[in-house]
Amino acid sequence: MKRKVVTVLLALAAFALFFSCKPKESNTAVAEVQKETEAPAADASSGTLPRNQTLYWAGLQWGSINGWNVLSDDMNNFNVSRQAYGTRITMFETLYMYNFLDGSLVPLIADGAPQWNAGKTEVTVKIKKAAKWSDGTPLTAEDVAYTYATAVKIGNTAGNSNKPYIAAVEAKDAQTVVIKAALDASGAAKNPLMLDNYLAVEYVAQKAWIQKLESRTGSDATKMKIDPAEDVVYSGPYGPYFADDQKVVLVRNDNYWGKDASMWGKLPAPKYVAHTIYADNAGGEVAFKSGEVDVSQQFNSNVQDLWLKDKLPISTYMSEAPYGICGSLPTAYFNMAIPGLDNVNVRKAIAMAVDYDAIIANAMTNQSPTFDQVPRSTMNPTPGEQALYDQKAVANLQWVGNDVAGANALLDKAGIKDTNGDGIRELNGQKLSFKASCPNGWTDWMAAIEIVAAAGEKIGIEITSVFPEWSVYQTVVTQAHQMEYEIFMMWSDGSSPTMPWNRVRQLMSSEYVGVEGNWSGNWGQYSNPKVDQIISAIPATTDPAKLKSLYTEANKIYLTDVPSFTLMYRPNCFHAVNESVWTNYPEDGDGQNIPPGDLIHGYSIAGLYTITPVK
Amino acid sequence: MKHILSQIFHTGKFTMGFCIFMGILLLMVFYPLINPGDPLKIVSIGTFARPGTYISLYDAVDSRLNTLKLDEAPANRLESVLKMEDRVKMVMWFEAVEIPIGHLNIHDTEALLALWEEHYDSTVRPEGMTKADRNYFQRLDESLNRVLVTKEKILATRDASTAELQEIRAIEDTDYVNLKNVANVKRLPLGTDNFGRDVLKELVAAIRTSLVIGLIAGTIATLIGLTLGLISGFIGGIVDDIIMFVTNIFTVIPAFVLLILISYSIGQDQRGPTTVAVVIGMTAWVWTARAVRSQVISLRNRDHVNLSKLSGHNLFLIIVTDILPYIASYVVMALILQISGAILAEAQLSMLGLGPKTTEVPTLGLMMNWSMLYTAHLNGYWWAYFPVLLTIALISFSLNLMNTGLDQVFNPTLRD
Repeated sequence: MKRKVVTVLLALAAFALFFSCKPKESNTAVAEVQKETEAPAADASSGTLPRNQTLYWAGLQWGSINGWNVLSDDMNNFNVSRQAYGTRITMFETLYMYNFLDGSLVPLIADGAPQWNAGKTEVTVKIKKAAKWSDGTPLTAEDVAYTYATAVKIGNTAGNSNKPYIAAVEAKDAQTVVIKAALDASGAAKNPLMLDNYLAVEYVAQKAWIQKLESRTGSDATKMKIDPAEDVVYSGPYGPYFADDQKVVLVRNDNYWGKDASMWGKLPAPKYVAHTIYADNAGGEVAFKSGEVDVSQQFNSNVQDLWLKDKLPISTYMSEAPYGICGSLPTAYFNMAIPGLDNVNVRKAIAMAVDYDAIIANAMTNQSPTFDQVPRSTMNPTPGEQALYDQKAVANLQWVGNDVAGANALLDKAGIKDTNGDGIRELNGQKLSFKASCPNGWTDWMAAIEIVAAAGEKIGIEITSVFPEWSVYQTVVTQAHQMEYEIFMMWSDGSSPTMPWNRVRQLMSSEYVGVEGNWSGNWGQYSNPKVDQIISAIPATTDPAKLKSLYTEANKIYLTDVPSFTLMYRPNCFHAVNESVWTNYPEDGDGQNIPPGDLIHGYSIAGLYTITPVK
Repeated sequence: MKHILSQIFHTGKFTMGFCIFMGILLLMVFYPLINPGDPLKIVSIGTFARPGTYISLYDAVDSRLNTLKLDEAPANRLESVLKMEDRVKMVMWFEAVEIPIGHLNIHDTEALLALWEEHYDSTVRPEGMTKADRNYFQRLDESLNRVLVTKEKILATRDASTAELQEIRAIEDTDYVNLKNVANVKRLPLGTDNFGRDVLKELVAAIRTSLVIGLIAGTIATLIGLTLGLISGFIGGIVDDIIMFVTNIFTVIPAFVLLILISYSIGQDQRGPTTVAVVIGMTAWVWTARAVRSQVISLRNRDHVNLSKLSGHNLFLIIVTDILPYIASYVVMALILQISGAILAEAQLSMLGLGPKTTEVPTLGLMMNWSMLYTAHLNGYWWAYFPVLLTIALISFSLNLMNTGLDQVFNPTLRD
């Protein structure tokens, strides 16, 4: 008997040991980095960073990191993250920095503006002579070319998304890179906008390091993509310092090449930049309020209460609503395959009846311009995009919302009436009853969907809200011919060098119809050959007047056919700062033209060079 | 019966619990009569309007005005924007821009404001001053300007054709309106929630739903528990073994885990309040079954039961007439506890986002869930969650009190 008990206990112990070891395996790499970096400075352990030399973020990192591999899409590391509105360039750098305030490209590794050839089929970029890697070797055109070649070879997102548009990235000499566009049948570039996008979004990695990685992994694509890269060489101002499941810390590289006069002329102000890993939004919010976090990328509902009511030293880019620069357009799509929603009058009536002011006040707590201020279109509210279409030409098609009378009149006129007296209108003998969905727990979207559902009631269309879990939602929404969600929310992307063209495409292009695993757009499966023509014409158009007429035409169709309707405007990223430790953050009207991108996205990193410690 | 009732109401605990519960019930019945309408209607644009009385400004300016000459009015007006902390801050501004303040007494409002008016410049960016502080001074300056100007305020309408403003009324700082004369005055005793719904109205509707959930779940749990307990206790043998085997399995699995798993697998669009109630009821019967069984076992060999058996009464009749009456008081008490437990279970489930789907009816748990999602607890919007919490506590407290009171009457070992 005793023996049996002992055996069972041993088995249990072995079992426990096995399971307790398992999660550690994936973290060994990070732990090693930690060991290595901890050695030189004894005070390096997480708790004792000098607060007045450290900048803390919140809302960028959830869960512990998997490593520092710039070639991987899977590092879950806030420093290795390509974003259309500004790639994060603390550690790895891009040729240009995107500024979503005005859509410009600011040279980083590149020297001067990109030079297009006459036919707009290739673009030449010079590399700054000062640019260096963290190991002291110069950053050359060869690195740029090799990074792109590797990306295509191993098939990461950087490679896959650019491959159709970029034929080759070649190093002409050490300081000159030529990016050749993929050509269509007529010999013109397929899409020159995607080359601009490449210049701003894609990281440059060191050729020598990639070769080291290749020899270590035997050039196996999968192995290369999951390598945690603890030995990585980087060109940015910060390098790995400490990382565990509580915190990620980077330390400034005091030999950073950017202190050269040809770039910033100095080092960024914080010696350390760090991100504490919080369990949820609430955790981050509490830390932000108490001054443990300097820059927050989290949505703070009623952000003005933080200074008006709580009297905290917190501010946003703009002092008044909408407090930030909105870039993306959370949108409700109509599933065009659903009987009833294939009728344009029904679609437009629903869109007209929705109380958008309530959505903006409730879901966004007024951190979005209203549709009175920025009339609806396929454009985001930045002046740059707004200027790209003729607002007067579509003014009679735009609706502000909460127009119940107008929506009712539209339906009555179209002969869509309540024939059996149950309070719900019928179309072709069928009751108009729809389900409106968005993922569960996405509170701002959920509030918006509730308000859409409430609008249906007022115009005799039954709309009930359904909130599936995100894991389910994402698989259904991206299916080729889903009939489950009828009115449902998805996003349309924020600012980027390909905007607003890409947004028009995302909202209406028929190239996404019937595509399995569609993450790109047009989830309602709308199709219109006229729009497709416009979408294919825009990228190659350089004449501003022609471009404006194309965008205006696209907007006319969008507002007439109503394949989807935008519910609110939303910032590319949220940006609020607590000035307990640092001050002089970029602000609206300070003449610096630094976008509110959390001092990490694209050109907003310039903010790291302007902030100063609070006296 | 009368005797029992008087006995019950003699116990202080029961009476107190009963009073609280009745109070809640009365609120539930009568409040909708005073304040009718859809409890889920969005009344305010924006989230979390504070509790209080809201006066329609639009109507107020059209109401009959009275002129009241109140000496303290200007001071009150100033006090509302210039508090002690603001005065201290103003001095900080003077120091930051190096303006000599001499022997300025910060209680000397006139001197302070004169100095402020003379020197404050919103375009100045004092060295080292945070943006938050600069914004603060700008807001302070604006509100001071608003308050200090004692000129009349002009109301105007815009002419539709010429777009010109036409004055309709001038408002003096001595104009007052009697609240009774204003057409629209809305009292929101508990403010509004994250959607802008009237919290009190929603709360009352939620109490009703939660009680219905409690009642359905409690009844189901008690019925299942009672039936299984009676059968297994009275019949015994292999039937008892099987039923107890199942019951024991359910005992070792925590009911709440089971509840979460079932709710999750049902999916949100299927989860109405009734479904949630049924699910709660199906997982909460275990202890009732065990307790009833043990009581039945002690009853089944009593003489009157044996007598019934000898008389040839069938099983059903024996259980209903000879056993049930003896355990009825226990069952009623169990039912009360089950109701209270079910209301709590609904609240817990909804807090996890597994409660009834959200748009159709309010429940206490859903109100808590939404206020938590909107971090009301972090931002001091107490009215969105505290009254709900209090209500849940009061309901379960009153039910438990009643249960204890009943226990004192019916449990021979506790009887005085």
